[in-house]
Amino acid sequence: MRTTVIGAYPKIGDALEAQELRRALHRRDRGEVGDVELDKVYDEVTRAAIGEIEGAGVDTVNDGQIRWDDLLAPVARSWTGVEQGPLERFYDNNTYYRQPVITGPITTTGQSLVRDYGFAKGVAKARLKAGVPGPLTFATLTARDDQYRSIEERTLAAADAIAKEIAGLAAAGARMIDIEDPAVVAAPKYIELAREAYARLADAGHALALVTYFFPADAVLESLASFPVGVIGLDVRSRETTAFERLDAFRTQYVLLGVVDARNTRLETAEEVAGYAERALKLLPQERLILAPTTSLEYLPRDIARAKLAALVEGARLVTGEKVPA
Amino acid sequence: MTDNLLLTTTVGSFGKPDYLTKARGQNARGKLGATELEELERKATAEWIRRQEDIGLDVLVDGEMYRGDMVAYFAERLEGFKIGGLVRSYGNRYYHKPVIAGPVKRNAPLTVTWFEYAQSLTSKPVKGMLTGPYTLLDWSYNEAYPTRRDAVLALAEIVRDEARDLERAGAKYIQIDEPAIHARPEEIEIAIEAMGIVTAGLSAKTISHICYGDFAAIYPQVLDLPVDQLDLAMANYGYRWLELFDRNAFTKELAIGIVDVHAHQTETVDEAAEGIRKGLRYVSAEKLWPHPDCGLKTRTVEECVEKCAVVVAATKVVRKELAKVPA
Repeated sequence: MRTTVIGAYPKIGDALEAQELRRALHRRDRGEVGDVELDKVYDEVTRAAIGEIEGAGVDTVNDGQIRWDDLLAPVARSWTGVEQGPLERFYDNNTYYRQPVITGPITTTGQSLVRDYGFAKGVAKARLKAGVPGPLTFATLTARDDQYRSIEERTLAAADAIAKEIAGLAAAGARMIDIEDPAVVAAPKYIELAREAYARLADAGHALALVTYFFPADAVLESLASFPVGVIGLDVRSRETTAFERLDAFRTQYVLLGVVDARNTRLETAEEVAGYAERALKLLPQERLILAPTTSLEYLPRDIARAKLAALVEGARLVTGEKVPA
Repeated sequence: MTDNLLLTTTVGSFGKPDYLTKARGQNARGKLGATELEELERKATAEWIRRQEDIGLDVLVDGEMYRGDMVAYFAERLEGFKIGGLVRSYGNRYYHKPVIAGPVKRNAPLTVTWFEYAQSLTSKPVKGMLTGPYTLLDWSYNEAYPTRRDAVLALAEIVRDEARDLERAGAKYIQIDEPAIHARPEEIEIAIEAMGIVTAGLSAKTISHICYGDFAAIYPQVLDLPVDQLDLAMANYGYRWLELFDRNAFTKELAIGIVDVHAHQTETVDEAAEGIRKGLRYVSAEKLWPHPDCGLKTRTVEECVEKCAVVVAATKVVRKELAKVPA
């Protein structure tokens, strides 16, 4: 039973020595250190995050998105035609993001995330995946748009830019890329628009995962099964969902099932995790099921995030009868 | 007579002076005792009461010099909560997100002494300031209660007891903030039910502050929240929530945010006055209270003063205009 992570890993821990990045950012704000020194800290924290995720025994890891202030920040900072606007709560979390403001045509070199991916590739021993924000989430969370006349135009413009980022990451060696797009389930009325956007992202050369979270996919689950992506990510813990009874809709795609609640500190037991997997296995073959936390583990303190990963891996091994190494 | 029109106020928190920020850090590291810290908190509270009077605000707050986070302050003092590890709220800002680890219980009043102290320093009314039960739950991890509703209703009883104690201590205004109320619009009924428990039987004017989220998703249902006044961030949203009132009339008093609190620069007096005029299209001057969008704790003392001064100056401009209009 394979396991993976989604999105961002906690950037700091509770121990003072685990707060190097927080201190470095304060020092940068006071003008005491420059970008070169700060970059070194970012890299070290990235190295530590990858190490912790691998240490837990997760099969496919990411770089923990240590440089991302929020899901949209890396592209909002680097794309031409986009600025970072006012703060807003990110869906139903007490966590904030900067709303994008579109001031002109969106263009990108497609290199926004390549440097970070390259660094992670040099560090990771396990299989590494990349991540990009999804086009519908970008378009629906935009505060102001002076360029595009409709949500449709904006979503497709974002999709074209994200396609370039995906091409850039693929050229840098990324074979698996998560497209984090909670809006697909938060705003199901746009499902056909999302499908059109994903047609622009599709490329047989690498496995794309459409990762949703926070909300159930119930209203769009069968539609997602015909999206041109290899993997669909579903959060089955944040709210009531009928997904477990409908997973046979996915006839060829892999399902990345968010079974460990990344937004509550209550720790799942391995048996609980295995229980969710077994429910999914009634309608889905084991080779197409991947277990994961529901979303970014950054919603949890770092020590809890580590414990959640341990529960995830232990639960996955319980399903397949593997022995958990002491 | 326009003195009782457009009463000015603030949402609750102010920036802490440098000496207090430093002292809180020292206290957290065990290098400064609780008594010494409290002395400085009282000093800073007195300074803020004086500043609010100097600026000319009508209804004052204690400024929350003794609070860090609006949920953690209560969580640290209630049985059943434990203080969780650090999580990020945005950028490089982190907070200790509380954990509801067992049944919640209040062993003693939590805010009354500070209210009494602040009120003793001024003849102007000071608001009693509480965090609402829905927000207390939503901004904590719930390990103890089987459902979110169970946890919210248990917390409502605690907030009710605190509100009653504030009223007994003389509070004429009690603000019960629910900034998380639109986190899950499908749960608005739970928030309304819980607020009903909190405000039942109170004779004080009750207020609830709501900010940063999709207000449209809970309007007009939020008009059923059993409080007298809703206190809304508006400037940050370009006043777009007012358009909702075209379709469904706003039926409560409105405290209207007319300066953005997350920007270093402040709106001009003209811009802020225009915000009040926009509000007056929907709510009469007796029921419209100008104020900054949200708590000001992320701003420096100087920025707080500047923003509040703009609120007061803009209000004076509009009061003058109202005085010229024959009744």
